[in-house]
Amino acid sequence: MKSRFFSALTVGALIVAVPAAAQQSGHIVAAGASPAKAGASTPSPSSPAIAAIDSSRRYDSQALRFESRWGSADIKRGTDGASVGTVGWFRGFDVERLVASSPRAVAEARSFKTDNFRGSLATSAGALTLLTGIAVTSNSSNNAASPVLIILGVGGVAWGAQHLQLGYSALSRAFWWYNRDLSR
Amino acid sequence: MLRVPGVLFITGFVLMTQATAVSAQDSSYETRALRIEGHHGDTRIVRGADGNVVGTIGIFRGINVEELVSESDKATLEAKQFAHDYGPGTIFLSLGIATLGASIGVSQINDVNRSITTGLTLAGTGLIVYGAGRLQNAYNALARSIWWYNRDLKR
Repeated sequence: MKSRFFSALTVGALIVAVPAAAQQSGHIVAAGASPAKAGASTPSPSSPAIAAIDSSRRYDSQALRFESRWGSADIKRGTDGASVGTVGWFRGFDVERLVASSPRAVAEARSFKTDNFRGSLATSAGALTLLTGIAVTSNSSNNAASPVLIILGVGGVAWGAQHLQLGYSALSRAFWWYNRDLSR
Repeated sequence: MLRVPGVLFITGFVLMTQATAVSAQDSSYETRALRIEGHHGDTRIVRGADGNVVGTIGIFRGINVEELVSESDKATLEAKQFAHDYGPGTIFLSLGIATLGASIGVSQINDVNRSITTGLTLAGTGLIVYGAGRLQNAYNALARSIWWYNRDLKR
């Protein structure tokens, strides 16, 4: 009875210890060990440790984010922050194609495209109307249209800004889903 | 004979633990990863697939981003950069808008020296541009901070 118990315990210990050691070697590799050492470790290609390392590497090299630059936004990829494109006022960069590997990201990218176009159009038209209203007012011409132009202009800019904000929120979600699906 | 079920049980348990480790990594991103979303002029930091709001950043209000992303060293560094630029950015932008407003007000007075209006307009515009630049740096640092935080969730 005792010998059975000890042999079961030994087998159990072996089963637990081997994957644990493999996983630990995976963590060391992830922390910056050389690729040669990574090749020397023996876990199978489908082991969780390898999957975790692959997932981290994929995120490091592929994950997207965007940074704003005076009215437009640069899309950057990976730890180096390599620029892959620019979106903004009337810029036609195809975000849908960029995130095509993730269906939910594509849906958000479409939403970004729609809102970005509406926002760009409305803010431009609003700003133009507002400037016209200001010009009419500053010429001291007693034109009844000037307050209407100013109100319409401010409204257009505000509506457009709201859509631009919705658009960039959708872009943020698109990248969130895309980055999430990198690990799958 | 009892050995076989015992070994099978232990093997099953170990395999289940490993599978949980992989799915935990996915669910960790799914439930904990952050992103930025705009909401009526404010910026919200939301978490997970459900989009739970964990903080709002707006004019003269903010959250402690450093604390939020403290699990990741690089994210914390970027969060410090955000805190460094956000406050001054907001102040300079507000001062610029106020100065530009003052210049418009002064321009309505008939016998005022024109150089005062010009000076106020230039100062206001300069402050707005400088403040907007600092705010832009702050939000870019915030974007990087969240990117690093999410990246370190996957490890």
